[in-house]
Amino acid sequence: MTVAAALSTRRGTVLRVLPALLLTALALAGPWLVPHAIDAPVTAPYAEPGGDAPLGGDQLGRDVLSRVLAGGRELVVTSLLVAVLVTGVAALLGAVGALRPAVGRFVERAADVLMLLPAVLGILLVTLSWPDGGRLAVVTAAVVLGVPYAVRLVAGAAAPVAASGYVEAAAVGGERLWYLVVREVLPNLRATLLALFGLRFVAAVYLVATAGFLQVGPQPPAADWALMIRENSAGILLNPWAVLAPSIGIGLLAMSVNLAAAALVPATGRKAVPAL
Amino acid sequence: MAGSLTEAVRRGPAGGSEPRPAPAVVRLLLRVAGVVARRALLLAVLLAFVFAAVELLPGDAATATSERGESAADLAERRHLLGLDRPVQTRFWEWMTGLPTGDLGTSARGESVAGLLDRPFPNTLLLGGLALLVTLVASVALGCWAAVRPGGRTDRAVSASATGVLALPEFVVAVALVLVFALWTDWLPAVTLTDADGSPASWEMLVLPVLALAIPQIGWNVRIVRAALADEAKAPHIETAVLDGLPRHRIFTHHLLPGALPTIAAGLATSTGMLLGGAVVVETIFNYPGIGSVLAGAVTDRDSPLIAGVVAVTGAVITGVLLLADLVRAWASGGRS
Repeated sequence: MTVAAALSTRRGTVLRVLPALLLTALALAGPWLVPHAIDAPVTAPYAEPGGDAPLGGDQLGRDVLSRVLAGGRELVVTSLLVAVLVTGVAALLGAVGALRPAVGRFVERAADVLMLLPAVLGILLVTLSWPDGGRLAVVTAAVVLGVPYAVRLVAGAAAPVAASGYVEAAAVGGERLWYLVVREVLPNLRATLLALFGLRFVAAVYLVATAGFLQVGPQPPAADWALMIRENSAGILLNPWAVLAPSIGIGLLAMSVNLAAAALVPATGRKAVPAL
Repeated sequence: MAGSLTEAVRRGPAGGSEPRPAPAVVRLLLRVAGVVARRALLLAVLLAFVFAAVELLPGDAATATSERGESAADLAERRHLLGLDRPVQTRFWEWMTGLPTGDLGTSARGESVAGLLDRPFPNTLLLGGLALLVTLVASVALGCWAAVRPGGRTDRAVSASATGVLALPEFVVAVALVLVFALWTDWLPAVTLTDADGSPASWEMLVLPVLALAIPQIGWNVRIVRAALADEAKAPHIETAVLDGLPRHRIFTHHLLPGALPTIAAGLATSTGMLLGGAVVVETIFNYPGIGSVLAGAVTDRDSPLIAGVVAVTGAVITGVLLLADLVRAWASGGRS
């Protein structure tokens, strides 16, 4: 590959990652940009857009624009947390699994079992069995449900590294397992782990948003895109924007993050089907 | 390593004198039995995991339905009524042995979980089954269409839209569908009305829920079909078929698709879980009379035995579909492992 071609590929990757970064930044900064308080009515319930409220009012007459601006942060922060935790745990377990086949087989079976548990039902199971868990319950459920698949991916990528000469040399030289994992195997999986992080973020956005919609995530009167869709769906004919604006928020976030994740998958190991 | 080498050496020359292999039918039955046993074991492990999750997480069915100002004695009373005061081994044994007989336990309100689910669950299966059918037909058709000319305009358009929709949560798709097809154009109903026996009153009411469920899964499976066909196209027997001058459509239907079938079946089997999970969400939007509406009540009551029962039933359904995918793979590989 020529230098120019490498540069243009890199520019392509940056261009495809950029929308996700911008949207994430906007969602994180949103609560500071709100024109009105998010918990006090400024219009009539389900008021049409106009005047003080460019996107109209919600079911209690609160400003939809302010709530949309404020309602993405929790989703993005929780999803990022889940993605970081899943990637971190999966990286360690996957590398250990590649070095110690017994661990690898155990994780394989765990993934086979969890395949029988739809993620949405899994998150309901955990949040309902742990009523006071709040955000922690959602994060725990999403991590437990996501790790086995992610470990599978890491173990697959780590297997050739674990079988390579320098790792065998280090193992024969008496290095401890954690040294092999952290210093020998994982540094060679940076590209895989970055791509894995992207894919887990996609999955986390789906799961955390769905939990919010099923009312087991953020509780009223919090501003949250998924919860807004649920709360305002009764007034969809009166002020469609109260439902449409948060839907667009979640839709754009899911799509842009997915685009970025696809761009991050390493070109050599690129498969048309990333394992979510 | 050394052990396996000596094993191979020992077996090599002695191969002729070994007992003759069992007849094909017996081998096939053994193979099927093995696959079934493995899937059943995985399901049993899941059910044990579900019980452990409900048990180990703080809070139980009695505290979940407690009202404010209720005394500890009242709580202990209801715990006794729900059977929660018995030893954990007894309850685990009852839950595990009750499941195969159709006893899914008791909800936090003291009703039989099986009784709560026996009418809504078939409706959810109908919704999920139709969505799976739509997913199968659409993803195979679109995947093949895209694979005919790799890298062409169709391929790029289909692959890009598939990637675009596969990450969308079902409820976002549902909102968009309701706005466009129900509220702005008034072509299809936005809510499901039920007739006397509790099933949807007309087929029109199924269209939007099925589409909302199927669209993300179509995106996912189109990419699997497309990739499986691309992998298969690289196989040497396809090249041979092309060099033999067989017609293109015959290569497609007789050589390419059968080879890609196991991957496609596995992808669809994975989608089953997503469809059943997504059904819970979509049903609440369309007011569809399935397990989603039952679970919406479970959320307000914090009814963990009910969700555990739902997980058990869906786990069994997904096991069945995965079993089918296993058998498709066994059949397509023609006895080769």
